Amino acid sequence: MKQTLYAGVALAACLTSSHALAGQLTAWVIDGESEKPYFTQLEETFNAKYGAQGTTLDVVPIPSYNEAIQAATLANDLPDIIMLDGPNMASVAWAGTIQPIGDLIDPEIVADLLPAIKDQGTYGPAGEFYFVSPYDSGTILWGNKALLEKAGVRIPTTVEDAWTREEMRDALEKLAALPEVEWPLDVKMNYGAGEWMTYGFSPLAQSNGGDIIDRTTWVAEGTINSAANVETLTEIQTWNKNEWIVPASAGDNKFYGEKTAALSWVGNWMWPAHREGLGDDLVLIPPPNFGAAGPVSANGGWGWAVPTSSTNLEDVKLFLNYAMSSEQVAAYADTTGYVPSRTSAIPLSATYGEGGEGEIFAKLADCCAVVRPVHPAYPVITSAWSQAVVNILSGDVDVKAELDRAAQTIDQDIADNDGYPPFGE
Amino acid sequence: MSIKSRSQRQELAMLLPAVIFLIALIVVPFALSIWFSFTDQRLVPRPIPTKVIGFTNYLRMFDDPLFWQAIWNTVLFALLVVPFQLAISLGAALILNAAIPFRSVFRAIAILPLLLPMTVIVAIWAVLFRIPNGPLNAAYQWFAGSGNYVDWIGNPSTAMVSIVVLSAWATFPYQMLIYLAGLQDIPQDLYEAAKLDGAKSWQRFRYVTWPGLRNVNIFLLIITTIGALKLFTQVNILTKGGPNGATTTIIQYLFQQGYATQKVGYASAVAVFFFLAVTAIALLQRRFLKNEGEA
Repeated sequence: MKQTLYAGVALAACLTSSHALAGQLTAWVIDGESEKPYFTQLEETFNAKYGAQGTTLDVVPIPSYNEAIQAATLANDLPDIIMLDGPNMASVAWAGTIQPIGDLIDPEIVADLLPAIKDQGTYGPAGEFYFVSPYDSGTILWGNKALLEKAGVRIPTTVEDAWTREEMRDALEKLAALPEVEWPLDVKMNYGAGEWMTYGFSPLAQSNGGDIIDRTTWVAEGTINSAANVETLTEIQTWNKNEWIVPASAGDNKFYGEKTAALSWVGNWMWPAHREGLGDDLVLIPPPNFGAAGPVSANGGWGWAVPTSSTNLEDVKLFLNYAMSSEQVAAYADTTGYVPSRTSAIPLSATYGEGGEGEIFAKLADCCAVVRPVHPAYPVITSAWSQAVVNILSGDVDVKAELDRAAQTIDQDIADNDGYPPFGE
Repeated sequence: MSIKSRSQRQELAMLLPAVIFLIALIVVPFALSIWFSFTDQRLVPRPIPTKVIGFTNYLRMFDDPLFWQAIWNTVLFALLVVPFQLAISLGAALILNAAIPFRSVFRAIAILPLLLPMTVIVAIWAVLFRIPNGPLNAAYQWFAGSGNYVDWIGNPSTAMVSIVVLSAWATFPYQMLIYLAGLQDIPQDLYEAAKLDGAKSWQRFRYVTWPGLRNVNIFLLIITTIGALKLFTQVNILTKGGPNGATTTIIQYLFQQGYATQKVGYASAVAVFFFLAVTAIALLQRRFLKNEGEA
């Protein structure tokens, strides 16, 4: 106990001594197993390149990252560079904790970013650039080829020939009839009410021409509870009533472990588990085309931001341009398994380049990804939407009433914050 | 300096550390939450000033159907879990108080759930509840035939009962230990006298054991009720308040409002209401259940 206490005090002392020194950069990064080798590499190669000129980089993985950032923000003790999760960026920018980085980053790099990655970093009515992510994530329909073939279902391979909503419904019906299939589609209901419900289900709504908030007026009423969204969620609710969707209490592994589900709608982070479980039977199917807007994939992830307190901007500039160089972006992707965020880095990646097994992810990130709303009310927007989705998929619940309630919650919050100026001015 | 005032000063000095901690860790935060409940305080800093908004938070809270659902669920949980948990605790205590072989081994086994963190217990029960072929459903299929299953935590009509069973199992040993101590406090000669009078075992329980446990029962009733009203961990991990709000509790609601949507002012109003409600219930219980020897 005592030792933990001392360790905590020592850690706090180290953290508080991270004040900017000219030529010495500190970057706080997330403490993830899959990212660690990349960050070690980033620090070593940066120091090898710029150390002689007098700029050194210290990359510090921080456990309990969000809490640490919050505490350091209150104590006004943030380092030169921090990482943020994409959907949280708007709240942080609104609070004035981070500064625009448009002038710190090479315009060529910004121009080379995937469109949704650019959107993810662009904040506020003035459209300033605040945040840049070296990678992108995405959702896809993962399929079990053996089961799909047995059911006689067409397997789309490109975005252009994605299933329509009717085709997907038909496929689910045929798959459900197979004796080895229990629930044909896993949509990760076991993740529970949380960010997944927005990340995973808003693309389906957007594919049908809906969205979760109007992105110019920032009003939810009329958008989140639009006829298109009611239609989309009623469709998925019907699939659930037909017992085509794996229930939350059935666990995580129906698709890749027990193989009693034939399709799984989930992000690229499940790739290793799917590859291991299904081997050659694993097929990557583009997101379904639910309606007017064609297939839509989810987007976003952690990226770099610069605290307002950071004054060492010349060195920060060196860092951002180095970390966002095509080679570094490709290295991040290849180490962690995510999609490179720069068009020019994609051909450098073994997985996502032309002919690579993840090529479709890179295509989706380029053509069809829609960023989650970049607005400081995002915590409320995502909470209201995900609660509605979970309720709608819990049984025979009135879809419109749930979405109306979500609209009211979101608009109420925006009104309570005077429209989150300068939004709505 | 008189002896009396010196000893008073010493007493005060000894009390001081505890008083400081109580003020800093309980009184001040509570006073702050009363204050916050009248403002639109947020969890994270924001560029617009926090405003005093009077009773708006309270009015919205009373106007929110989810809030009332959370209240009803919490009351329902308490009504179900308190008698059930006290009954199994007392039952277990009676068995472990009897002269059975390997009694100390069984006593040690019975308190094992207390040694596990709630998160671990919930993880274990999540596996037990699994559909279609988790252990509980395997047992169910013995009766209902193969292919049938119950989605214990996914079905609105069974979710709350499932949480009740899990919670009772997870915490009953605490009440059991107190019952055990209470049973050992009852003088043996009362039982001997009852036996001589020809009392059967049920009569001995009814007229000797039960009255002898009066104070223990009152204490356990109050603390088990307060514990039940605070239901959160199990629900937050297992069902997140679902399906369709069937297991949302007041604390779950408070957490959702305060952390997920960052409305600390609103969550404070819920907390103040909760505090007043729990205090009122505990006072009512004290009012109607007098300890032995009390007027």
